[in-house]
Amino acid sequence: MDTNRKLREQISALKDGALLDVDLELALAALQGSDGRQAWDLYHLIGDTLRDTASPALSPAFNARLAERLAGEPPPLRRAAVAAESTGLAAVLAKTASP
Amino acid sequence: MYRFLRCTHQSVPPRERVANGAWSVTTERECDQLLVERVQAGDQGAFDLLVSKYQRRLMRLVSRLVHDPAEAEDVVQETFIKAYRALRHFRGDSAFYTWLYRIGINTAKNFLVTQGRRAPTSTETDAERAEGFDDADSLRDINTPESMLASKQIAHTVNAAMEALPLELRTAIVLREIEGLSYEEISEVMACPIGTVRSRIFRAREVIAEKLRPLLDFPVDKRR
Repeated sequence: MDTNRKLREQISALKDGALLDVDLELALAALQGSDGRQAWDLYHLIGDTLRDTASPALSPAFNARLAERLAGEPPPLRRAAVAAESTGLAAVLAKTASP
Repeated sequence: MYRFLRCTHQSVPPRERVANGAWSVTTERECDQLLVERVQAGDQGAFDLLVSKYQRRLMRLVSRLVHDPAEAEDVVQETFIKAYRALRHFRGDSAFYTWLYRIGINTAKNFLVTQGRRAPTSTETDAERAEGFDDADSLRDINTPESMLASKQIAHTVNAAMEALPLELRTAIVLREIEGLSYEEISEVMACPIGTVRSRIFRAREVIAEKLRPLLDFPVDKRR
């Protein structure tokens, strides 16, 4: 990776608050140059633009359709899962214990 | 029924119970976990609350991966059904929403595979769509990215470049920029190391930035 690209990756992480402390000084120095400053500006522009773009809304029938499907599902009871897990464990233990 | 739950954004630390003990505030994660436990105890209504809370966020995420809105909605439906079925095994080791997002992304991936679509590679980005504006020159003349026209062209370019990104890069930048997840949370959702998250987000930004540069004038650094 060339030096400028590596510095831009650090600027990208800095923008997200995810830069390692040891890299902070280099990244801040890179922001003084045109390449680093452009990257900083562009990365923020990209983020702002993505957040501004509206996403499609769910259709009015979404909840009714999902409710209908969920009604046909067995409840995800934790007790059942625990019972199944312990049964499975018991089976494994029984198998292991058997000669 | 659920009035004892006061959910706050996760970044806000939980407050202690007030002196008179009348109510307390939980974090978003704790709130979700309480609802999950209610579902696991047989309360279907608690799942409806989780659906109501996350359906739009999930649609926002999935519609960035599956572009047709009707198909994206089907993927969201399927995601909730899968989550409901798997909920009995959810222990709260990760936050509910990172778990739900992971199911959503995998469901979207599977959908794209079954539709016979492959995620584009970075070498076949839709350059024509991203760069082929008749009035790109006039944009440079205007030199005011704040103007309405420039904003529209910028939005078009960013979105076209996004659509052409490989799925892994697109997912990473959507989770960061639109959903606001931390690198750690994204690494959980995408089941990859944090270093990979950092690299994917950077590569996504680089590809999109490369498309934007022709539209924008930057001041020359006189110190060089």
